[in-house]
Amino acid sequence: MTRRELEEAPSTAALFARAAATARGRGGALPDTRLARTGVVADPADVAAYARVCGFGLTGALPVTHPHVLTFPLQVALMADRAFPLALPGLVHVRNRIDALRPIGLGEALDLEVWAERFARHRSGATVDLCASVSAAGVEVWRGRSTYLARGATAPEGAPDADVEVGGGALPDGAVHWRVPADAGRRYAGVSGDVNPIHLSGLTAKAFGFKRAIAHGMWLEARALAALEGRLPEALTADVAFRKPVFLPSTVTLATAPADGGWDLALRNAVAGTEHLRGTVRPL
Amino acid sequence: MAPQTRQAAIVGGNRIPFARSNGAYASASNQDMLTATLDGLVARFGLQGQLLGEVVAGAVLKHARDFNLTRESVLGSRLAATTPAYDVQQACGTGLEAAILVANKIALGQIESGIAGGADTTSDAPLAIHDEMRRVLITLSNARTVQQRLKALAGVRPGMFVPEAPRNAEPRTGLAMGDHAAITAKEWGIGRHEQDELAVASHRNLAAAYDRGFFDDLVTPYLGLARDQNLRPDTSVEKLAALTPVFGKGEGATMTAGNSTPLTDGASAVLLASDEWAAAHDLPVLAHLVDAQTAAVDHVHAGEGLLMAPAHAVPVLLARNGLTLQDFDFYEIHEAFASTVLATLKAWEDPSFCREKLGLDAPLGPIDRSKLNVNGSSLAAGHPFAATGGRIVATLAKLLHEAGRGRRGLISICAAGGQGVVAILES
Repeated sequence: MTRRELEEAPSTAALFARAAATARGRGGALPDTRLARTGVVADPADVAAYARVCGFGLTGALPVTHPHVLTFPLQVALMADRAFPLALPGLVHVRNRIDALRPIGLGEALDLEVWAERFARHRSGATVDLCASVSAAGVEVWRGRSTYLARGATAPEGAPDADVEVGGGALPDGAVHWRVPADAGRRYAGVSGDVNPIHLSGLTAKAFGFKRAIAHGMWLEARALAALEGRLPEALTADVAFRKPVFLPSTVTLATAPADGGWDLALRNAVAGTEHLRGTVRPL
Repeated sequence: MAPQTRQAAIVGGNRIPFARSNGAYASASNQDMLTATLDGLVARFGLQGQLLGEVVAGAVLKHARDFNLTRESVLGSRLAATTPAYDVQQACGTGLEAAILVANKIALGQIESGIAGGADTTSDAPLAIHDEMRRVLITLSNARTVQQRLKALAGVRPGMFVPEAPRNAEPRTGLAMGDHAAITAKEWGIGRHEQDELAVASHRNLAAAYDRGFFDDLVTPYLGLARDQNLRPDTSVEKLAALTPVFGKGEGATMTAGNSTPLTDGASAVLLASDEWAAAHDLPVLAHLVDAQTAAVDHVHAGEGLLMAPAHAVPVLLARNGLTLQDFDFYEIHEAFASTVLATLKAWEDPSFCREKLGLDAPLGPIDRSKLNVNGSSLAAGHPFAATGGRIVATLAKLLHEAGRGRRGLISICAAGGQGVVAILES
């Protein structure tokens, strides 16, 4: 394993461009590189902007999903690197799991480390998990695991089967309605650095086979967790599967039901009822 | 059924440090601050998931979207989502009025517990579109034909694109609150030096209270702030004497940025309950809210000072409770301006004011100044309008509790619109 420490967060826009230019001819096994940054303190203005876009209040703690945007540029750097076997453009986020071990205070110095693992076989391609570990003063406080699907890609010989389903019971019709505006992707891109073109405009999304721009899965997850503000366990595991994309603009509903000290939740299209997101939140 | 009344207990309080305008809380909304403050109170008293009788709070500067500010804050807090809530607004009296409302429902036996609070931000201010532009847009949205739309749009002028910011001015006089206070200061002959002395005492008292840990169980740090941002422990009469007056005009102007309260952001909350509820939850009773009174003056046409209403409210409260102004161990007189506190005290000592304006046979007399605002007040802490009442109630209740049983404190808060809210607490 090689561990490389970065002085600052890499520019995701430049990385997306580089990854697009070098998309062809990739293959082989996952690199065992770990990328890291140490002593990262989230900028309060960035946190406030992120909170505003996702619907979190300003509490003095980082929104539970916020460490994802701290670690995301490192994950993109890992994926943009030529050693990464899958082409970054066109990767689809299909599952995200967050373990928030305790609330992280604003102003806490955080050590970030990301890596890729679990190259797996999926019925329509291959999946890979981009993992992140966030520590404060040497103690892990937050873990993230994002599963991405590469359609048409082939997992190496002997790879395990992909695991993209989450649990949870039956849910009622959603009581919470969101009108997701046409610029939702651009707004979230602005606060997360996730400038994947499939989220930014209809034109750029079409280039990757989507009929319109689609909402970021992590924004949907963040906003769903924000809707449970004040009702979430202090330490939690959130496990979310991203199903059908939310085309912009859309109206969606959020359904929630208490379960095992946490919540089951689903995000559906308000008109068609198609499921966009399904998830569970449990105390950790 | 007319139930017997009982006195509501003050169990404790919580607030976030007050921040200077466009300072540490520049990104925080009233709802953010109020929710954080409620959650701090919830954490302090183990109220997580609990159903309380009612939460009453408000904000003075309020966005239209915040019509249900308190209820929305409760929904975002760790209180039970089934806890009812409502908003009140009585300018700078909001926080104390909220506490009185909660206490009265407890006194009547309608609720067993409740939270009173308030939040205000001058940073995340509710800018409104220019009023004439607003009318144009309403006409436009009602227009049915292209001609009607064009006609409506033809009314647009460049100046209409300038948004309207809320002003700290009286709607009926057009004067800033400070200008009103300057008139009163001049009328009562309140000198520059005594105002600066009061301001310095406020800063020293607040700093000393922080230093001895008095606020450890009253204040929860927020967004990087652990103490009030306006607090200047090392200020002095000499330093304040160097400041140029900002309110009032000419030679006699005495009111500066140093002896006037700055615009601030913050929130506070107080937990009130019946004695039985407090005992059942194993929570302390710091003091009881004994009685309260409001008053208003006609500052527009009758020549009374805008901020002099508490001077009128206090004698009514004293008479009803059979007390004199000297029967108190602590006085909490809100320092909107140093001159306001001094003018109020002077008015109570003035035989002709007490006779003619208050209808009293004799003046209320002086107070022991060593009992006034002993842990600092708004000049040092700042004054996020609706949050001040909660700050004072929690501070005084703890002071009285520390002093022992049977101690009595008086709260006096002046408010915009010529109003005043006053109350008596007793341990």
